[in-house]
Amino acid sequence: MKYITSLDGKEYLVEILDDRRISVNGQIQEIDFVSVRGQPVHSLIMNGKSYESYVYETEEGLQVLLRGRLYNLTVEDEREKRLRATAGAGAGTSGEFNLKAPMPGLIVSIPVNEGDQVEKGQVLLILESMKMQNELKSPKNGTVARLRVKPGETVEQRQALLSVT
Amino acid sequence: MFKKVLIANRGEIAVRIIRACREVGLGTVAVYSEADRQALHVRYADEAYLLGPAPARESYLRMDKIMDIAKKSGADAVHPGYGFLAEREDFAQACVDAGIIFIGPKPSAIAAMGDKAVARATVVKAGVPVVPGTEDVGNMTNEDLLAVAPRIGFPLLIKATAGGGGKGMREVRAIEEMPALLMSARREAESAFGDGNVYLEKLVEGARHIEFQIMADAHGSVIHLGERECSIQRRHQKLLEESPSPALNEDLRAKMGAVAVKSAQAVEYLNAGTIEFLLDKNDNFYFLEMNTRLQVEHPVTEVVTGIDIVKEQLRIARGRSMSYKQEDVKWTGAAIECRVNAEDPFNGFMPSTGQIVQSIQPTGPGVRVDTGVYPGFEITPYYDPMIAKLIVWGETRAQAILRMRRALEEYRIVGVRTNIPFHQTLMDSHRFMGGQFDTRFVEERFSLEDAVENKESHPEIAVALATLVAHQQTQRAAQIVRRNERDASNWRWVGRWERMHR
Repeated sequence: MKYITSLDGKEYLVEILDDRRISVNGQIQEIDFVSVRGQPVHSLIMNGKSYESYVYETEEGLQVLLRGRLYNLTVEDEREKRLRATAGAGAGTSGEFNLKAPMPGLIVSIPVNEGDQVEKGQVLLILESMKMQNELKSPKNGTVARLRVKPGETVEQRQALLSVT
Repeated sequence: MFKKVLIANRGEIAVRIIRACREVGLGTVAVYSEADRQALHVRYADEAYLLGPAPARESYLRMDKIMDIAKKSGADAVHPGYGFLAEREDFAQACVDAGIIFIGPKPSAIAAMGDKAVARATVVKAGVPVVPGTEDVGNMTNEDLLAVAPRIGFPLLIKATAGGGGKGMREVRAIEEMPALLMSARREAESAFGDGNVYLEKLVEGARHIEFQIMADAHGSVIHLGERECSIQRRHQKLLEESPSPALNEDLRAKMGAVAVKSAQAVEYLNAGTIEFLLDKNDNFYFLEMNTRLQVEHPVTEVVTGIDIVKEQLRIARGRSMSYKQEDVKWTGAAIECRVNAEDPFNGFMPSTGQIVQSIQPTGPGVRVDTGVYPGFEITPYYDPMIAKLIVWGETRAQAILRMRRALEEYRIVGVRTNIPFHQTLMDSHRFMGGQFDTRFVEERFSLEDAVENKESHPEIAVALATLVAHQQTQRAAQIVRRNERDASNWRWVGRWERMHR
């Protein structure tokens, strides 16, 4: 299986040859890769050198935390890359706004109801985190839809709260 | 002589106090909020009582409930830890009134040191140097303050009388900008503390934050256990502490220690406390404030002196004389403490909550971890983000730094993001290694991104790891779709099947 992995604008062609060998930009590397089940901790022995790291999935791709340094990467297989190239321009303007929690916290109040017309800049929700109250506002005019939380509920970072269509 | 101690706190400090009580054979009573039923302090204590819902004001700040539990459980002493009720004069008084021993200073000393203006006036009377500023810190009007300002000199600081944590604090470079800054400082102080009173203080530039640990018993003996260097801060929150400070020599230590003892004597201090000083580049030092409680960073002092401060606190509270005289206190080697917080250093130190899935603590020579969390424990947004303190000892400061680097890399916490990478980067900073820093170092001259740029990089390893993880995910997903197509041996297939159905 071939992948194109990008780091800091640089692309690497990575091929998984078998359980013990991968090729990075044409260079064959001996590997032994083990993951701790259900956890983002991975151990990689590459050419006899041992590395342990956290690998997190984010919306943008993968984050690798290795020896105190964070790397942001994207991994695509060849098919995905071709698909993206053809989809290309024009994408990403669906017009729907999904409000996500910018930080973990407690929903203090939701001054809007589902189906309400809201204006740009109107407060949609008040979120308290570490003793600070944050007003989350609508970036556009529209209708409140898919209200997923209630006042008094605690939410995680990036949890979907509501949408404005 | 008390037999049972109620610990009016949570987290690592509650665990720390329970440990000391247990070692000296005292019974322990834990209190907890609904969010902390699973907490370690609840599990370690002999008895545990529910206080109320998760928010601190409905649980750990409920003095009335804590006093009721003390009576119900028959606890005859209360240890407040730090934060919450630790520096509340009324809480100490309530204990005294109920005939329960408060393990800490007398209510009058908490009151005297709690109000910055009173504290300042008290120590000035005892001949302790303070940062030049307004002396009459009652209710000065803006006109009074503007008139006094040029005599103090610029730059200066506007500070809230009831202040703490940088709230209501403003830096003034010139008299023209002062009226507007006075207004905003008062507004902030009013909303944070319900008291808009402010005073002025000269801004000491390039200052270090140095504090001295004090111990005082009921028999008139007051000693100091040396200093802690606390200049590594971010937004007035300490991140790393060490002892000894790279900025002090023996003479200066003796001089500052003597002044610290004098400050404690000025309020007839009892039990453990901390005197905070500002130290400028020319070795001039000024009294800043006194913390009338056990500090978060007390372990670095314990490690270099070999003195168990919490056990000494219990001993003092029992009315006995301290186990040490000033000449018995000896310092060996160097200790560093890193505060491990559940926050993401790569994302503006945003708090991170969630369940701790795994925690592998560093061990080995010279390493100590004080924590209240374990795998399965939930980090909630209700309390402070500190989840552990990692403390190391080394024969020299350099050895301690090397050991801290090793320990930080060993520490694995899965489930929440932590600031461990920040500490790792700090340990590699040349200015930190050289001891060349002041209280503004982290905010003004240290950038995680820049520091990381200069660090050893392993792009190919990161690429290999990310790709292997992505590949693993694709394979797993494919396995679910193509159930009948067994591309691997039967044994491997069974393994995968079990994994999926667990």
